[in-house]
Amino acid sequence: MLVLLPQAIIDGVLLGGIYLTVAMGFSLCYGVLHVIDFAVGEWIMLGAFVALTVSTWLHMDPLLSLPVVFVVFAAVGWLLQPVLHRVLSGSRGRPVLMALVFTFGLALAFRGGALTVFGIFTRSLNTALSQGSWSISWGSFFLTVPFIRLAGLVYALAVMGALTYLLKKTDFGLAVRAVAQNKEAAGLMGVDIKRTCAAVYGLYVGVSAMTGVFVGAIVSLNAAMGPDLSLFAFFVVVLAGMGYLPGVPWASFLLGLIQSFFLIYLNPSYVLLALFTILYVILVISPTGMFRKGV
Amino acid sequence: MRKIPAWLWILLTVGATGLVPVVMTDAFFLRLFTEALMWIGLAITWDLVAGYTGYLNFGHGVSFGIGAYTAALLIMRAGWPFGPAAVAGGVAAGLMALIAGWPTLRLRGAYFAIGTWALNRAIMQLALVLNFTGGPDGMRLPPFLDPKFFAWVMLGVVGATFLTLWLFLEEAPFGLKLKAIREDELGSLAIGINPAKLKLQAYVLSAVPVGVIGSVYAYWITFIDPVSTLGDLITDQAVVMAIFGGLGTLIGPVIGAILFFAFKTYFWAYLSDYQVLYLIILGLAIAATVFFLPDGFWGTVARRQEGRRALQKGMALAQLPEK
Repeated sequence: MLVLLPQAIIDGVLLGGIYLTVAMGFSLCYGVLHVIDFAVGEWIMLGAFVALTVSTWLHMDPLLSLPVVFVVFAAVGWLLQPVLHRVLSGSRGRPVLMALVFTFGLALAFRGGALTVFGIFTRSLNTALSQGSWSISWGSFFLTVPFIRLAGLVYALAVMGALTYLLKKTDFGLAVRAVAQNKEAAGLMGVDIKRTCAAVYGLYVGVSAMTGVFVGAIVSLNAAMGPDLSLFAFFVVVLAGMGYLPGVPWASFLLGLIQSFFLIYLNPSYVLLALFTILYVILVISPTGMFRKGV
Repeated sequence: MRKIPAWLWILLTVGATGLVPVVMTDAFFLRLFTEALMWIGLAITWDLVAGYTGYLNFGHGVSFGIGAYTAALLIMRAGWPFGPAAVAGGVAAGLMALIAGWPTLRLRGAYFAIGTWALNRAIMQLALVLNFTGGPDGMRLPPFLDPKFFAWVMLGVVGATFLTLWLFLEEAPFGLKLKAIREDELGSLAIGINPAKLKLQAYVLSAVPVGVIGSVYAYWITFIDPVSTLGDLITDQAVVMAIFGGLGTLIGPVIGAILFFAFKTYFWAYLSDYQVLYLIILGLAIAATVFFLPDGFWGTVARRQEGRRALQKGMALAQLPEK
């Protein structure tokens, strides 16, 4: 069994990589808008299905549809944010919980919509990278790295780099960080809060949907997979500490490692049980994440 | 004439509802009647924790599933009769709420929602992988086909739940204390309320009836599996009904449950070719209610009436002759 160890580790890291992008967007969205988006898994699922539709319709590689998916979903998020903002503000009691219920309703509607249009069957996205893999053997150890998983990690690191650049080096990023710190003060300094919030939500929805393309290509896609993916995203965000971006990569890789170790060494049907139990236990022991740096 | 106390009204209403199975003996109707009552029970108990205490419990299905599985296991494996098994279902759900509630209720806001949802999913996965629960195949119970019996049992359970909740929430200080926690947890601590204890009491109080309802459901439907008893749809529908009716009131979720169940039945009867459209409507209904009627159906009506009454009072005061 030891010979499988490098494979388990590399699988975990590559699988964890794709959750990184979702969790970064989610953390950003929470930090700026204070919204816990229960529809995050549904955005991922819808992104994968849109890529499937576009690529079968135009007979092209699903990976080439990434920009289309991003633009479409960023626009949807941009347009949806004002609605969310109205739920969050105003004279209602407990706005944060009401916003949570609102996104929960959206998630149900999206899942229903996807089930209506695409049916209950599990599919997968076939890309040019799906077949190839890269094998190394070294003594009795061996390693297989499928190209698509490697592409997923590269994509995740690229998105992480782009988001970091956007947040740290541009005026837009400065505005986002200011709004996250103090909304009123940022408004007084001339930051257009409505536009910044809409852009952050659009960015988050767009990135989540793009990640869906990789989820569909690496794992599979199914109209009912949203809730599990939402819980994976929560897993990463909670483990990292809500709103604490440096914790996100560690938590993502941990999620990937837990999944791959359960798949290879233990019973695969215990994967979800283990993940949900760990999520619950972590929340109860340390709601601010494993570094205790969350809000 | 003295005003009739509210608890008498409730008893009279429950009694009058109890006459329905005598008049309407159609098996299909009785099935709908029983299920509507079941959803009323689930919606009002969800509202106890969400509406009164301000904690969104996305693991309401845990109590339901544990009640159903406890009753099914006791009936099938230990040969218990239905009555004690149903009581045991309620006790098991209460114990589970006590054990899980103590750590979970330390979480607040969205963390609590995520925590309870994760717990619900974990328990559903556990029921799927365990052997003695039958795994994904579920369990079959001996059929006991008496629609009237189940209608009355469900009415008894839900009626007793409603009366208990009414006495605790509307007549006793308990309800006010919970609302104080909802409005400001630290503030409630400062005026001498123990939020940790009260939240746990509310959580257990909302779990026990659901456990009993789950047990009755198992014996009534005679087949349970992890998805139908522990799946998200149990909680989801209770959430829609309570929010649609109006959080923080007891009558609101009842109205919400009846309206939504009537709609659901109509939908499944006439549009069954488009089953999954149901999820879309369910989701849009929640989103639209949160957006347009944040107080829910009953909350909006009650607020209007209150406003009108206050207006009339003001008008009457204005017309008083000056001394």
